[in-house]
Amino acid sequence: MTISDISHRKRYLAEGNVYLPHIAVIEKIIDETPAVKTFHFNFKDEKLRKEFTFESGQFGEYSILGTGEATFCISSSPTRRDDLECAVARVGRVTNALHRLGVGAEIGFRGPFGNSFPLDYMAGKNLVFVAGGIGLAPLHSLIWNVLDNRAKYGNIDIVYGARTPRDLCFKYDLEAWEKDSSVNMTTTVDREAPDWQGNVGFVPAVTEKVAPAAKNAVAIVCGPPIMIRFTFPVLEKLGFTPAQMITTLEKRMKCGIGKCGRCNIGEIYVCRDGPGFSYEQIKSFRSDEY
Amino acid sequence: MKKIKKQNAARLLEKWQKEFTVFVPSKASGVAQMAVWDGQDLAFLEHNRNTVIPPKANFLPSIQKMFGFRKEEGGYVLEPTDEDPPKQLLFGIHPCDARAIAIIDMVFKDAYEDRYYLSRRQNTVLVGMACTSPYDNCFCTSLGFGPADATDVDIMLTDIGDSFLIEEITDKGKEVLAGAKDVMAATPADEKKARAVKESAKARVSTKIDTDEIGKRLPLVFDDRKFWEEISAKCVSCGICTFLCPTCYCFDINDEMLRDGSGARYRNWDCCSFAVYTKMPTENPREDKWRRVRQKVYHKYAFYPELFGIIGCTGCGRCIRQCPVNWDITQTLNSLPAGTPTKKQETQKSS
Amino acid sequence: MTREIQQKLRAEARNLLEKGKVDRVIGYGAGSLKFATTPLIISDKANADRLVVNPFIHNNLSVFLPDLCGKVAIVAKVCDARSIISLVQNKQIAREDVFIIGVPCSGIIDLAKVQKLTGLDRDEIGDMSWKGDKVAVTFAGGSKEFSAGEVLAGSCLGCDCSGFQEFDLVIGEIKTLAGGKDLSRNKIQEMEAMSPAQRWEFWKNEFSRCIRCYACRQLCPVCFCERCFVEETEPLWVSPLPKWQDNLIFQAVRMMHVAGRCTDCGECERACPANIPLGILTGKMEDIVEELFQYRAGMDKDAPPLMAAYQPEEAENLMR
Repeated sequence: MTISDISHRKRYLAEGNVYLPHIAVIEKIIDETPAVKTFHFNFKDEKLRKEFTFESGQFGEYSILGTGEATFCISSSPTRRDDLECAVARVGRVTNALHRLGVGAEIGFRGPFGNSFPLDYMAGKNLVFVAGGIGLAPLHSLIWNVLDNRAKYGNIDIVYGARTPRDLCFKYDLEAWEKDSSVNMTTTVDREAPDWQGNVGFVPAVTEKVAPAAKNAVAIVCGPPIMIRFTFPVLEKLGFTPAQMITTLEKRMKCGIGKCGRCNIGEIYVCRDGPGFSYEQIKSFRSDEY
Repeated sequence: MKKIKKQNAARLLEKWQKEFTVFVPSKASGVAQMAVWDGQDLAFLEHNRNTVIPPKANFLPSIQKMFGFRKEEGGYVLEPTDEDPPKQLLFGIHPCDARAIAIIDMVFKDAYEDRYYLSRRQNTVLVGMACTSPYDNCFCTSLGFGPADATDVDIMLTDIGDSFLIEEITDKGKEVLAGAKDVMAATPADEKKARAVKESAKARVSTKIDTDEIGKRLPLVFDDRKFWEEISAKCVSCGICTFLCPTCYCFDINDEMLRDGSGARYRNWDCCSFAVYTKMPTENPREDKWRRVRQKVYHKYAFYPELFGIIGCTGCGRCIRQCPVNWDITQTLNSLPAGTPTKKQETQKSS
Repeated sequence: MTREIQQKLRAEARNLLEKGKVDRVIGYGAGSLKFATTPLIISDKANADRLVVNPFIHNNLSVFLPDLCGKVAIVAKVCDARSIISLVQNKQIAREDVFIIGVPCSGIIDLAKVQKLTGLDRDEIGDMSWKGDKVAVTFAGGSKEFSAGEVLAGSCLGCDCSGFQEFDLVIGEIKTLAGGKDLSRNKIQEMEAMSPAQRWEFWKNEFSRCIRCYACRQLCPVCFCERCFVEETEPLWVSPLPKWQDNLIFQAVRMMHVAGRCTDCGECERACPANIPLGILTGKMEDIVEELFQYRAGMDKDAPPLMAAYQPEEAENLMR
């Protein structure tokens, strides 16, 4: 399977200057965890608000004018277009500035960039979503996308974990998925915690316990690199082939369009050729710099 | 072909000055670079060697404003700055630097057009000058062209003693020469002289690399950590080779804000030798120096050819001449071990 | 003379590696450019014959020491040796892990100065060699002689390392260049004669050429911070954009940071591709440090780092 097989490349070849951000207004802010907030925003320009399209898995370059730009996926689903969402962990200069903003503040947005999850390929198959921490953000878009077209897909397993119960993102949606009888939802935390009655254990180990069947299935894995590294072998043990596993790679990015240089893994530019890749592709990379 | 007497060259530059901002190789600022012609200095007509700062700076400056912004009652207002950059004419550019511009054109045209770069590129006339005094560490002839190659310029000049032979390469070139009073028809003797000058320049390029052999060996040594550690041991990870490379195009994007809330976004040269270049909050895929040196070599000699079908190096030798520790890419390329394919490479080959 | 020293050095290096007294030797190898040498790090005694000593051993190799593990023998001019001791003083390396091999130096000929004086590029110069106390430069169609003051690197002119005692081994005779100090201060005096406005204008012009390649920092042995303040983003101390104001701030802060550990070795100025005369700043700073604190970095391995120690008798009373 090649990049073009696995991904729908929807390019944002906007008129004019692709480096100029569109101004958007923050409409709602949800405190997900002590370090993560989800920002709901909408474009100021009415025409753009109507015409803007994107696919699950794509990302944007978000500006705090005067501070800089940072890269995050769009964490809302294209099937729910009242607004756009991005879940952001506070880790650096731009994300700190973003966390200081309130409802009504203006941000800049460029995008959508990058490829998207291969919905056509996933149709008719059983889906296994494995996520850790803020890695649920891109899957959050995909899961709602899938649930909103439930009939198109087979069984759905979701394994989601975080370090502590406090670090679980999208708790309101975790509850909804839990209640959804068509979803096999497993939530876990790394260590025992007071008031936590759920699973305890790292995501790869819990995935092994849940043991989703590999036959006619696709696994989509997102989370910290260490979690991804340990989850792939578990899935392989369960019978998944590398072509049945998909992930998104995280790299430092600036331009988002394959020019500024820093997100390469060998001749692959994650912003331009990814961020979604099958494990089969990743295995074929000449470089281990991911 | 045409020619112009050297003593009349200034008049041609003056003619061009009416339509273009004319850039010439100059040391006036304290470092050799393309600088706006002052109407006086003509030293570059006689002594024209590669500038230290490459002419890529005329298209991708070390700092470039992308847009301004200010906050008004109704919110942010953006002020784009890429519209209609002034028309420029670069005089005396060498074939290696012209080739370099053609090489980075590919990146900036690829998929998403880069308006900042391409608008400058479209508004530019390149007047090349055959390089008659290559440096002792130039190696352009190993990269499929030579010091007098006219492929990538609009007009090509060759020093034939008291005159410059003129070749009109593109329509743009023809256009800017139209009506130039001092331009005369060249004689067969002039052309013969130019050929001799070009041949002799080519013969003087003494440093060689074997790109076929490099192309064969590079895929085999990627994982040879020991080799890359040895090769990179003396590198101090500064940005000289990158910033002065005519084909290095990587950039960073940074904002600047004034007290009144207005500000601007800029892009500036960035460099894969810097560890921070790829640094993420929790990890850095190229924390190790040997990985960064490997990236530099592979980007030019493996990744670029794979993506665009051309080696991303023109053999101009700046990275060698300016390196404070005399790290020499030709030595690295010429010492690549023959290597044996790893298991992974074998499986990739057969699939 | 240098040939003899080179032979002795190779023998010593071979011996040190053979006997296992050191894990590595760092010295100079032949450069690929005219009038250049290149840092050479060897651990195999078979490579000892690749070491060279000639008038162009310009690099201050101590910059590599903090990253090399094991016991390292290092070839050092007396100015480089001061940087090594400065690293010891600042606890970046342990004295016992370094074996300092002193080699004589008659001053580093500043290629940039020769190029400026002759209008020639490196490869257009035939030869440069000492002729008594003058430097003879030959080129196609002629030759010229220059005084040491004209062509020596600025830091060499100020070379005064008498009293330096820290070599583990000396090959040849180490002497400091007598009587050069005044010449090295010419530029500083010119600067002091300027009005503040003129000085501002001067540096504005110089720093407008800076491209932020950070060669000055990377080549500096005492710029050893694991994370440089220019790479900090929270807070953002200085913009990464190469505007002259930010370039100047970067360099001014760097200078303040290395005060008391900088030995004015001249590497930053030599490395600068934009020809910014950083030696004026390092020289002036060394003067200030000496005047205010009677302190010279890298002379005494047991002296505490200047900026990390407080003496009750110091003039400033902010610590009291």
